[in-house]
Amino acid sequence: MAKHIFQSHRDRVTNELDQKLSQQLKKELSTPDRSSMTEEELFSFAPFNPDASERGGYSNYSYWGATIRAFFKNKVAVFFLLILVCTLAFTFIQPNLPGQRDPILIHYNESGRTLANLAPGEQGFIFGTNNLGQDIWARIWSGTRTSLFIGFTVACVEAVLGILMGVLWGYVRQLDFFFTELYNVFDNIPQTLLLILIAYVLNPSVPTIIFALCLTGWLGMARFIRNQIIIIRDRDYNLASRCLGTPTRRIIFRNLLPYLVSVITMRMALAIPSAIGNEVFVTYIGIGLPLEIPSLGNLINTGRELMTIPALRYQLYFPVAVLALITISFYIIGNAFADAADPKNHVN
Amino acid sequence: MPKYILKRILRSLLTMAIVITVVFSLLRLMPIEGYFENYDKLSQTQIDLGLQQLGLKDPLYKQLWNFGKQLLSGDLGTSIRYRKGVSINTIVAEKAPISLQLGLISLTIALALGLPLGILMSRSTRTRWKIGDKLGTVFIVIIQAVPAAAYHILIQFAGSQGIIHFGDWALKLPMLFKVGDYRTYILPILSLAIGNIAYYAMWLRRYMVDEANKDYIKLARAKGVPGGQISRRHIFRNAMVPLIQYIPNSILFTLMGSLYVESLYSIPGMGGLLVAVIKRQDNTMVLALVVIYSVISILGLLFGDLLMALLDPRITLAKKEAR
Amino acid sequence: MKHTKRLTALCLAGALVLGLAACGGKKDPESVGSAAPGGKDPAPAQTSTYRQLYSSEVETMNYLTTTTFENLRIPANVVDTLIEYDRYGVVQPSLAESWESNEDASEWTFHIRKGVKWVDKTGAEVAEVKAQDWVDAAYYILDANNDSGSEYNWDVAQVTNAHNYFEYTAYLLALETATDGVDENGNPAKLDEDGDVIEEVAPVAKEDIGVKATDDYTLVYTLDAPCPYFLSMLCWSAFMPVNGEFLESHKDSFGIDNDNLLYCGAYILSDFQPQVQQVLTKNPTYWDKDNIFIDTIQRTYNAEANTLGTTMFLQGEVDEAEISANLLSSLMSSYSDQIHSSRPDTSYSYWYLFNFDPNFDAQYEPENWKKAVNNENFRLSIMHGLDRVNALQVYNPEDPESELSNTITPLAFASASKDYAYYGGLDKYTDGDTFDTAKALEYKEKAMSELSAAGATFPVKVYVRYNPSTSNWADECQLVEQQLENALGSDYIDVIVEAGPDTGFLGAIRRTGNYGLMKCNWGADFSDASAFIVDPFKEGSSYSFIFKSEDAQTQAYYQQYLELVAKALKITDDDEARYETFAQAEAVLLDHGFAIPMHTSSKVYSFSLLNPFEGPYAAFGFATYRFKGQHLLEKSMGMEEFHAAYEQWLIERDAAVAAQ
Repeated sequence: MAKHIFQSHRDRVTNELDQKLSQQLKKELSTPDRSSMTEEELFSFAPFNPDASERGGYSNYSYWGATIRAFFKNKVAVFFLLILVCTLAFTFIQPNLPGQRDPILIHYNESGRTLANLAPGEQGFIFGTNNLGQDIWARIWSGTRTSLFIGFTVACVEAVLGILMGVLWGYVRQLDFFFTELYNVFDNIPQTLLLILIAYVLNPSVPTIIFALCLTGWLGMARFIRNQIIIIRDRDYNLASRCLGTPTRRIIFRNLLPYLVSVITMRMALAIPSAIGNEVFVTYIGIGLPLEIPSLGNLINTGRELMTIPALRYQLYFPVAVLALITISFYIIGNAFADAADPKNHVN
Repeated sequence: MPKYILKRILRSLLTMAIVITVVFSLLRLMPIEGYFENYDKLSQTQIDLGLQQLGLKDPLYKQLWNFGKQLLSGDLGTSIRYRKGVSINTIVAEKAPISLQLGLISLTIALALGLPLGILMSRSTRTRWKIGDKLGTVFIVIIQAVPAAAYHILIQFAGSQGIIHFGDWALKLPMLFKVGDYRTYILPILSLAIGNIAYYAMWLRRYMVDEANKDYIKLARAKGVPGGQISRRHIFRNAMVPLIQYIPNSILFTLMGSLYVESLYSIPGMGGLLVAVIKRQDNTMVLALVVIYSVISILGLLFGDLLMALLDPRITLAKKEAR
Repeated sequence: MKHTKRLTALCLAGALVLGLAACGGKKDPESVGSAAPGGKDPAPAQTSTYRQLYSSEVETMNYLTTTTFENLRIPANVVDTLIEYDRYGVVQPSLAESWESNEDASEWTFHIRKGVKWVDKTGAEVAEVKAQDWVDAAYYILDANNDSGSEYNWDVAQVTNAHNYFEYTAYLLALETATDGVDENGNPAKLDEDGDVIEEVAPVAKEDIGVKATDDYTLVYTLDAPCPYFLSMLCWSAFMPVNGEFLESHKDSFGIDNDNLLYCGAYILSDFQPQVQQVLTKNPTYWDKDNIFIDTIQRTYNAEANTLGTTMFLQGEVDEAEISANLLSSLMSSYSDQIHSSRPDTSYSYWYLFNFDPNFDAQYEPENWKKAVNNENFRLSIMHGLDRVNALQVYNPEDPESELSNTITPLAFASASKDYAYYGGLDKYTDGDTFDTAKALEYKEKAMSELSAAGATFPVKVYVRYNPSTSNWADECQLVEQQLENALGSDYIDVIVEAGPDTGFLGAIRRTGNYGLMKCNWGADFSDASAFIVDPFKEGSSYSFIFKSEDAQTQAYYQQYLELVAKALKITDDDEARYETFAQAEAVLLDHGFAIPMHTSSKVYSFSLLNPFEGPYAAFGFATYRFKGQHLLEKSMGMEEFHAAYEQWLIERDAAVAAQ
């Protein structure tokens, strides 16, 4: 179930990418949306340019340069990139700003009672306090930090393991059966069961959650890479390489992987919010991070319980807003970057 | 083709056997305390006895063998904790139809709204300001970004508390689901459908835009085929091919229900059943559900592939298999 | 060709959708739709319906095997016990009209009420309730084949041969799967799965168990030892009756739903749909039906009852909603005239315990902890440094002081001529608060110098554990951590809070000693001074492992406690002396800082149309789960009314107890 909800999102995106990529690969030439252009825009006479005719075969094309240039042409993506960078930077800067409070420090009033559930803005608490008298502002940033850390780590492990396994799976035909079975088996083992067992053996903590999320996460990535590899492994240029005796390693690293840069970055960008989303779910079913480690998951979950009181709903809205913003940013940046990383879009 | 199907089913059986063995072994690692209600007050004799009666002292292969035999006779077993002594077939037969019914209604709605939205969005990409496309994208992105843990409960409160109101009229639907009272179906179905609407719209738009850029469409346009006809007969139909593959899966997966929605609205369906039985360490039910879900996902993939092969003559299963 | 293929495909997809939809739609009303109407409709004027939400479905209603309150909530209302408790906690006749015991309270005779019927879910009579019903229940519970959790209570009551019969049936069961082998001396023996020798157990016939029906209406329990508090154990599932024939014919399905139960209590479970609803309707044949004032109890399942309950109450959709502690203050500010708490509940007692056999990771310095924990001044510094009221805010932000419990056996739990908590030197705890920073710092100074001499390092790591699935415990630990470190200084202690696993918590943490300082609890099974103070601290217990301490001073204190307990257990004819001695034993534990009492079962705040003082009251068994005697109010009671009614109730209760 758990798996279904969150992996399905990721799988959808994977499949979407999958389809998109294969179509791109199949196409002889990229066809940006020119159909709406007028005849004049589509065709114009090229005047003779003597300087250009003198130019030799030199091209100053640089892949990454072109990618970055293409990316920065997308204003919306740049805007979200800015937001993301600021958010990220702020989670690190925030504890060092003057007047910030410790996210787990409990605040008391004069009579020794906790300053519980203060409304946003009251007594200098920007986002108010929770039921223990802890500063929600500080907790949200600390929680974002934790969640992003979980997201990044899981995404990195997924990328490294997933790419490695995916390439082997796709390129080495003898391993196909093994990996396919492995994938099917893991896909059908309930993630909840694994999480509970891991939490039982280790204690619930950030490394435990990361471990649990990584344990099965890489499989999706591996399958995705494998599908891409299969599409391109028997292309003529690879066939030629093999015939010329290029070592497998070199084929993989020089011929295959560079082809996949755009989709890999896209998937990584999506893996981060999906790991955070998974953490929220895991907290909801009661096996998430302990409360003394703030994370977006347990902040949202605590906020949910307060839904019944309109005055306290802010405790749900704030973490949800932060999580939504992060997800949207990654989604848009990932999409834009994948487009930009496709060399066909560099030709203008 | 029948040969191919047979081969795939046989391979799936192998997968299932492995899955069951692995889950069996994992369940054996669960803390024994979880099998007892008052562990703290039991003597060692009682604990041993309890474990023996649960069959947990038998060797693994013996348990597996028994489970396999029972499974082949169509019996999923008897619950040991969740509803002690009740046949799992009964429990699933009670719960599955409810999830299925709600899921199918919401899926139908999602298709009925999501596909037109996708078409509108893709059409809108051809207009000057692409307003429709932009609005649609905003909707899709927001739905995907707000965590399910939050948006279901927000929908429930928004729909039942009269927060949405115009003058004297306020939207006050019942908070809890009740079988047979159709007013109570509205909110959970909306909750279930909204994610799928976004999902289908997003996909269809993507495929239609890609399709519209293909040369044959351009040719058709150049030849003066009317826009509506191109859209209906060529773009939409071809764009549906990759989508159709996931529809059997979506239909079958409605059986699993949704944990969030079913918890919030008191829907006695399958949602969250797996989580509940894992947490209660009802091993027989965990296994039964794993079997059910494996079958669902295997069948879903198979049907999807078959449908796609039927719809798109360019796709042959033999080739797919080679991949 | 192409066309037909596509058509086929579309038809296939369509058929799949329609087929599934149809089967979903059709099956559905048949299997669950039968009880669709009802529920939300307001009850007709002449009958009263009480509507509540519940978030945890029963696993089984087989009250002979299950022991959880959640599972026993329905059985408690549909099957009566020999005795019952009234609203003041005084024992009253129920299915036993009268009873007597022999001189040393080791043989109890009950005279069963005549004419009480077992009925089925429609109210049709099935059989008469007879003395044999309790005997049949005993045979079932004590037979190891049935794997009942209630055997424990028979053990505690020391009913003659109860345990022996259980052991014997367990032995027979073990033999079924045993293999032949030899023991360490080479003699032939039976071996179990692990290859261990199965000890032979002498045969016991079930007729030898100390529970007998001498005629249809006379039931006799024979105990191995005097048990003056035997009566108090009887309002619990372990001593409920069952119709033997019905049990025999329903064997494996007994208690799985409302068809597989017989009713002789105040209510009948007329509708039972798991994860949908439970409907209790008044039993028309009930022997005491004049004291049942609510006709129907409509319980609706919702997994998120905690989140939705208050909203639904305020909309008038339910008549009760528990208020979780994190919502209390906010709701109190607007609805203080409708929110009330429950009566104090002493069924569980919670205390912080120091672990004397630390068995945790080296990074938390178990050896250092061992040194520290065996130092009395160290323990006392923590005891006096802990601001318990501060920690209790998480359970009751409105009135944390009222949650305080100052003794291991809580106040108002048991009394002889006065309350137990005032015997044997416990009065200074009962009437005071151990929190005293000045005193704590004094102990800290002493402890620091003594411990430095003993080679301990500072700060001492205090490893606190909690179960993340127990509500509010995580919050409590955070409060305790910060408060203790502030009060005692982080140069002295470093409190480290860590969550344990949520499944298998006790086994992974407490029973294996994987903690330094942790809140533990014990629940009472009967009304006596020994209910709390013996089991958790006895030798071989799995709580704080004092008995494993190698420190001479600690052992000396512990021996002192053991001797007092042993002495007290032997006093069965003199309540005064028994209470005094038990209290002295408890005082030894408190004086030397082995335990820090915290609280009892927390009060539950709620909106509710029931009067919280009308229901049966008791600290053991399921009396408080019964709806008997309760009326439906027009409006939920507010806190002011509650306090007034509580004062009144205390006065009446004292009178009722005195008149006993």
